[in-house]
Amino acid sequence: MTRVAVVGSGLAGFTAYQTLRRAFEPGEIAVFGTDADPAAAWRVRAAAIRQREMRSESDGHCLPTSFPGLAFSSIRRRRSVRPLVESVLDRYHPSVDEFLSHVARLRARSGWDESLVPRRVERVRAVDDGFDLDGDCFRHVLLALGHPGLNVPEELRDDPRAVHSYEPHDYAPTVTVVGAGLAAATEWLNALAAGAEVVSVRRREPVRRPLNVPRQYFSRRGLAGYHRLPQRERVERLRTLSTASFPAGARWDEPLELAAREGRFRVEQSVNGSEQVICATGFRRGFGQDPLLGRLVAEHELETADEWLVLDSDSTVPVLSDTTRTLAVAGAPAQWAFPAADTLAGARYVAHRFLRRIQACRTR
Amino acid sequence: MSYTLRGRIESRLAALVPVLLAACALAGALHRWWPVELVALMAVVGIALDLEVWHRLLPYQPAWAMLPIGALELGALMAIVYGFGLHAPLWPAVALFGAGWLAAVLFGQAGFPLLRLGYAEDGGELGRLGGVAAAAVVLAFAGSAATYVVRLPPVVHLSAGIHQGPLVITRREVLQGEPGAVVRGGIVVAHDDVAIRNVTVVGGENGITVDGVRGTTIDGVTVSGAKLDGIHVRLAGVVIRNCTVDMLGNRLGQGIDISFNMNLGMSMVEGCTVVGGQEGITTHSSMTDIMDNRVSRTTGEAIAVDEMSMGMASHNIVRDALGVALYCSDRSMCMFEHNTVVATRSDAASGLRTRGGIAVLANFQSEVDLWQNRLVGNPVAMGATTNSILRTTSRRRW
Repeated sequence: MTRVAVVGSGLAGFTAYQTLRRAFEPGEIAVFGTDADPAAAWRVRAAAIRQREMRSESDGHCLPTSFPGLAFSSIRRRRSVRPLVESVLDRYHPSVDEFLSHVARLRARSGWDESLVPRRVERVRAVDDGFDLDGDCFRHVLLALGHPGLNVPEELRDDPRAVHSYEPHDYAPTVTVVGAGLAAATEWLNALAAGAEVVSVRRREPVRRPLNVPRQYFSRRGLAGYHRLPQRERVERLRTLSTASFPAGARWDEPLELAAREGRFRVEQSVNGSEQVICATGFRRGFGQDPLLGRLVAEHELETADEWLVLDSDSTVPVLSDTTRTLAVAGAPAQWAFPAADTLAGARYVAHRFLRRIQACRTR
Repeated sequence: MSYTLRGRIESRLAALVPVLLAACALAGALHRWWPVELVALMAVVGIALDLEVWHRLLPYQPAWAMLPIGALELGALMAIVYGFGLHAPLWPAVALFGAGWLAAVLFGQAGFPLLRLGYAEDGGELGRLGGVAAAAVVLAFAGSAATYVVRLPPVVHLSAGIHQGPLVITRREVLQGEPGAVVRGGIVVAHDDVAIRNVTVVGGENGITVDGVRGTTIDGVTVSGAKLDGIHVRLAGVVIRNCTVDMLGNRLGQGIDISFNMNLGMSMVEGCTVVGGQEGITTHSSMTDIMDNRVSRTTGEAIAVDEMSMGMASHNIVRDALGVALYCSDRSMCMFEHNTVVATRSDAASGLRTRGGIAVLANFQSEVDLWQNRLVGNPVAMGATTNSILRTTSRRRW
C-alpha cells in the first residue's frame, strides 16, 4: 500500500525520494509530478545562463548521504585524484554535465519512474488519518513544489527588450543585466564573452561567498541559533541570508576588471538604453505565489511570517503534523526551517527529517 | 563541516574506539601500558582542544584542516609524553597517533556520513551512536584501569629487624622494607617485574642477585658485606636507583655488575653510592646508563663499560680510584660526559702503565666520546691503547 507521497517531481522531490528509498520500496512511494525527468526544469535554466559548473561542492548531489560525493565519481571518470584534492580544499565544483549524469544514473537505478504519478496536484487537504491529494489519501506527504515562477521586476514586465536569465536567449551588442547574484554574474561573463557591452544594474553591491548562505547554516551549528530566533528577528535574518551573492575569485573578477578597463562593463543605478535587458532576478518568492501552498495556508489557517510559511525546525507544518501523520515542505518554501532550503543540501536536510518523522510514527 | 561542540566530541570519541581497542590489544601483547596511556592522552588532549580552541576558532572546518590540526595535536601529545616522562617509544607512539588520526579522517569524512543520514547537517552529532561510543570509550578506559589495578603486584612489607636470607623472590611482587629492615644472607630475584625498596642487605654470596628476569627495579637499598658482588645482574633488565653499596675489604668483587643483557634494552644505574670493591660499577655486553653516582676507593676500575657494551656514564663523581677511574674496554662504545674524576691513584704494584692512575682509559678497540668532564688531580688524564679512540664531542656516535 502506498503510504508516502511526494508532491513535485523536481530535484527537491527527487532528492527526498532517494532518502525515502532507504526505508520504502518504489511501490510504497507516490511521486506526483508532470515531468519524469527530475532535472527537466533545472536543465533548461542552467542551459539558459550557459552554466557549466555547479556552485555547490562535492556533496551537492541527490544521494541520501553526503558521502560519497560527486568528487569520488569524478575521480573514476577523469582518472585523476585532482577532484578529491580540490574537494579537500573546498575548491571542487562538479560540472553541470557530471551532475546531470548523476541524476540520470540515480533515476535509472532507484525506481523513480515506477513511483511517478504523472499528475499535477492542485489541492492538499488535511483529513482524519492523513492528507487528501485530489482524492488520494496519504498519511505522510512532502510538498516539494519547486519555485513558483520567474521573477521579473514590475517595471520591465511589458518591456519588449526584457528577457529573464533563465529563459533561452542570445546576447545583443549592448546588454543590461539586472541583479547581483550568481545568475547575474554568470550573465555578465557570458555577454562579455559574446562581445557585448554590459551594464550591471543592481540595488546593492553583491555579497561574495562560496555558497548561498554562510557554511554554518548548513549544519546544526548555525541552525540551532537560527531556530531559537524570535519570529521578527528570524524574518530579518532570512532577508539578510537571501541577499544575492556569488563566489569570490579571479575567475569572476579578472574578466570584469579587464572589461571595465576596456569600457565594456560598468555599473549603473537604472536600466538605460541597452538593446537587451536580462533580468537575473531569480524567482518569485513567498508561499502566496504558489497556488497550492496559498490555498493550503488559507484553508487550514496556517501560521505565516511575512512571506514565509512558519514551519517546525524539521520542516514540518506544525498544526498538521503529529505522531500519526506528517506534512513537510521542501525547496524554497522550507526556508523557515533551513535557510538554504532551495539547495540540494537543503533538500537532503528536509528529506532526512521527513524520513525520521515517518519512522517515528506509531501508525507507520 | 560545521561541527557543534557535541558533534565534535562525539565524532572524536567514536573514531577513537577502534584505536583504543587496538591499543588494548597491543598493551596485552607487549605487556606494557603505554599504548593505552597514549590513547587516553590522545582523548584528553583532543577534547581539551575541542573545548577550548577548535570549537571557538573553527565555525566551519574544511577537510584540509585535519592536517594542521593533527600536527598540532601530535605536537601537544608528544610534549606531554616527554614532559611528564611517560615511557612510550617515539616511533610506535607516532604510529599509534597516526592510526588514530587516520581513523578520525576516514570516519569523519566517510564512515559516519554513511552510518548516519543526517551526520553533516547534525554538525557531527551521532545521536545514540555518540552515546554508545562515549560509553565504549569510558568502559575501555575503566576496564584498562581496573586491569592495571588488579595486576599491580602485591606489596610485601618487610618489618624492621633482621630477616635471615637468602630471600628468594619467585613471584611478581614489591618487597617494601620498613625502616630498619635487614636481610642477612642476600636476596635472589627469580621472577619478572619485582621491585625491591628500602631494604638493607648484609652478607650473602652476592648482596642482590638478579638473573634471567625482566623488569626488576631496585630502589633505595643498602648492600654491604657481600662475598662476591654487591648487586649482581645477569641476563636481566634492571633499574637501580638510590642505592648504597659498601664493598670495602672485598678486593675482587664488584659493587654493581650488570652483564649480558644487551638484548633486553636499556638498564640504568642512577643515584648510587659505591665504595670499595674491584670495580665500582661495571657492565659487560650491556646497554646501561650510569648517571649521578658516586664511586670511590675501588681497586680495579671505578666505572667500567666492558666487552662490547654500549653505555653512557654521565654526571658521576669518582674519587680515589686505584689504577683507572673511567674505563671503556674491549670493543665497547662509550659516552662519558659531565663526570668529575678526582685523585685517581697510580697502581704501582701492578707494574702496568695502563694502571698508572688514569682518569679515562680506552682499551682494546674501544671508542670513547668525551664531553665536559672534570678531571682533577689525576696522574694521567686520558689514555688509549690497542687501536682505541678518544674524541671530544657532544654527540655520541652510536
